[in-house]
Amino acid sequence: MSDATIIILLSMITTGLMLGMIFSLVAVGVTIIYGSIWMPNAANGQFFLLAALLLWSASVSWGLHPALAALIIIGLSVPFSYALEILLIRRFYDVPNRNISYFVLSLGITQILAGIFSITYGIWSDQFQLPPLVGGLTMLGPFPMVNNRLAAMLIAALLLVALFTLLRYHRYGRALRAVFQNREAAALRGVDVRAVYRMSFMLGNAVVFAGGVLFACAYSFDFSIAWTMAITAFAIMIIGGPGSVLGALVIGMVFGLTQAAVSIFASPTIAAFSYLGAMLVILLFRPSGLFAR
Amino acid sequence: MKRQSRILATGFALALVLSTTALAQEPVKIGFVTELTGPWSFFGTSCVAGLKLAELQINPAGKRKIEFITIDNQTRPDQALAASRNLDVQSKVIALSGPTSSDTALAMNGYAEQNKVPFVVPVAAFPQLTKPGTRYTFRIEPDAAGWGYAIAQFVAKQKPNAKVAVIYSDFALMRAIVAGLKYQASTAGLKIEPEILFPQGTSDATVQAAQVRAANPDYVVVIGAGGFDSTLTNQLLDIGIRTDQIIHPFGITTQVKNWGKRSVGSYYGTFFDANLDKLTAEGKQFVDQFRAQNDRPPSYIENYCFVTAHIIREVIDKNPGAGDDREKFRDAVSALKTKETTSGIPITFDKNGARKEYMYFMQIQDVQAKDYKSKQVFYIEWDPEVIPVYDLIK
Repeated sequence: MSDATIIILLSMITTGLMLGMIFSLVAVGVTIIYGSIWMPNAANGQFFLLAALLLWSASVSWGLHPALAALIIIGLSVPFSYALEILLIRRFYDVPNRNISYFVLSLGITQILAGIFSITYGIWSDQFQLPPLVGGLTMLGPFPMVNNRLAAMLIAALLLVALFTLLRYHRYGRALRAVFQNREAAALRGVDVRAVYRMSFMLGNAVVFAGGVLFACAYSFDFSIAWTMAITAFAIMIIGGPGSVLGALVIGMVFGLTQAAVSIFASPTIAAFSYLGAMLVILLFRPSGLFAR
Repeated sequence: MKRQSRILATGFALALVLSTTALAQEPVKIGFVTELTGPWSFFGTSCVAGLKLAELQINPAGKRKIEFITIDNQTRPDQALAASRNLDVQSKVIALSGPTSSDTALAMNGYAEQNKVPFVVPVAAFPQLTKPGTRYTFRIEPDAAGWGYAIAQFVAKQKPNAKVAVIYSDFALMRAIVAGLKYQASTAGLKIEPEILFPQGTSDATVQAAQVRAANPDYVVVIGAGGFDSTLTNQLLDIGIRTDQIIHPFGITTQVKNWGKRSVGSYYGTFFDANLDKLTAEGKQFVDQFRAQNDRPPSYIENYCFVTAHIIREVIDKNPGAGDDREKFRDAVSALKTKETTSGIPITFDKNGARKEYMYFMQIQDVQAKDYKSKQVFYIEWDPEVIPVYDLIK
């Protein structure tokens, strides 16, 4: 195998893994919220962008190291979500067909955040780039892998493992899964459903924020990423099965790797739309998603 | 003594009459519809920052005031159209100006042509804005297909028969640049390979950077949109493409800063830069004032909005009646032969309102946190229809 072929192959694999893990993180965040409180959060892309922009401010304008700034911003997502939960989200917990109400509400949040970004960050720059977490390159055979992306990939992988472990083995994770499956039965078994709702909203958003800061560490970005990520996260959730964390994880990775591969064998344009085609086909045959409970 | 007093009194009366006349004259109103919010807000607000600096200069005492009525189009063609109608019918502006996006400019262009309102476009490069038969629209920025022509000429001068990779985002602007480049490449003996198009919203180009490297081109023309442009540049450099192989068709300040130190040695095209060899005294003052106010040097966007205000001043000053009659204003702009206040580059318009076009190519020398240094390495001027721009881009 020639060096050129190895470089293309390794670039495809690393790109697929990088994108796949970020897609998975955001989709898991979206599906945790949807699975527990039935909120199809259309504002997830704006939350993702908010995290990335705050990281840009903290590291470029205020000079904090990106790693420290990232931790602070993920931490800030908790009071941010808590405030939203108190002000808006909990008011709809007992509303029939609340997923529609939540969808409209999240569209409103999307508009407000987009407006705020456009009159603040929008006049400072049209593109945003952070200093690297770590410098240098690691040679994987003939393929030069940037250490910064390698670090972002490793952190994303660790986060996914931690998240999966939390949901699988921790008491809160079990309570959350019980609420996912049957909230009335969970309540009868002593689970504080409202507390689980609140925790889910905060955890889901923290995971979306984590996706945003990792993306900002690995790539330059602009406002368009909010829309791209919102659509992608929804597509992954629908294909994986709404409320299925495993589905979001698996399909997110499949999306990332598929995009990277299709972009070589067809074109980047076809790659970008391939998952939407896949979503339509899967919805035709499995309307409830591949990993539906 | 009596005679002196009489002369003084007459002079005073004359001055009073003249100043009263100037005061009595309504200001010349220009509708400035630009992108203050929405995805293009950076460009619209940058443009207005340039305009504000010009406004400090173009209304000296004794001259008829020119008033720019600035309205936000939210980067939406429908809003740009509604604002144009409002400025035309309600505010009765003598001319329209302001857009920095081809989409909003095209919406205003349709209104201007239909309703015979002169329209001076500071920053929009889509060729069809000045398609044959255009009468009321005048474009200050060269058309995007022409930029592609200029890149081909630059590469041919650097290395005859060069192999050029083109990697770009799927936006009308980028497609137009590539169309011009490919057209001229065949004439100039250049080989375009590979040509890679990315859809909007792409965030990663590692795989395509590897494909470009495998093709071993002499130059890589990189035309990404927004943040993807920096990602694309970084990933090409990561994979081993040299900086002096990279050509960006346009460089604005935020882009150059984001390309960063590692891009020293790469090239970019532009229409104005703080590092040009020949800036006029006004140009140097503009750069200094802009830098003091905005903490960064201006790029061609701010310059074109600054220059647009000066063009309108000159048109009003040299053509009596142009401030009150749209046809006279339109004829005056059409016949204008002047120079950019900041760089001395000639400004004339052809029969369709397209400007005599030009481009500088700069090579980056250093990039600091708030500034950068670059060196002018090539300059080219051309007729707007040197290549069939209106057939290439429909």
